[in-house]
Amino acid sequence: MKEYTLFAIGSAIAAVFLDHLLGSRVTARRSFWVAIAIMFFFKIPSNGYLTWRPIVIYNPEYFLGIRLGTIPVEDFFYGFGLITLTLVLWEFFLRRERRHEL
Amino acid sequence: MNTEYFIVLGAILFFPLLFSVVMRLGIYRHAGPLLKAMLIVCILYWTWDVAVTARGHWSFNPDYVVGVRMLGMPVEEWLFFVVLTFVSIFTYEAVRKILERK
Repeated sequence: MKEYTLFAIGSAIAAVFLDHLLGSRVTARRSFWVAIAIMFFFKIPSNGYLTWRPIVIYNPEYFLGIRLGTIPVEDFFYGFGLITLTLVLWEFFLRRERRHEL
Repeated sequence: MNTEYFIVLGAILFFPLLFSVVMRLGIYRHAGPLLKAMLIVCILYWTWDVAVTARGHWSFNPDYVVGVRMLGMPVEEWLFFVVLTFVSIFTYEAVRKILERK
């Protein structure tokens, strides 16, 4: 297994795990999955441009070499992890703020 | 010097930033949770990115960045996480406002 592949999948799993650990329950919401779908829709042209140009150059030693268009598959796990972690923490801090206000 | 990566970031940020105000999502009323979530994710992903960029997972085409680098990464790559964490929270809150009629 390549390093980026492992890190990307690991980060996606870790973000979902943290959601359960913190009880933020973001991944249980329909709004979360709709937001992910929208982000992925816009990810294709932006990530696609970065990798097509290429502005970011990937080292074949560290990823599988499977690309959707010009985007390495790992980038989808990476993106999922980044978005999910952000929303889990956002929801967590929002709830904590609300609790302090009560 | 080239501003292409910067323009990609601007293109990703433009409509979310505009609509975050127009849609009155109220995310700026929760500046604490917003900044905390963004900062934690940025620090984690900056660390990851600096480490694997040094290791050679990927590199940044000098033809398409302005040429300001910190710890081996172009300034655009640092800003990438600020932009993406904000856009994630915007998208999620916009979807919630529409689907959950907050």
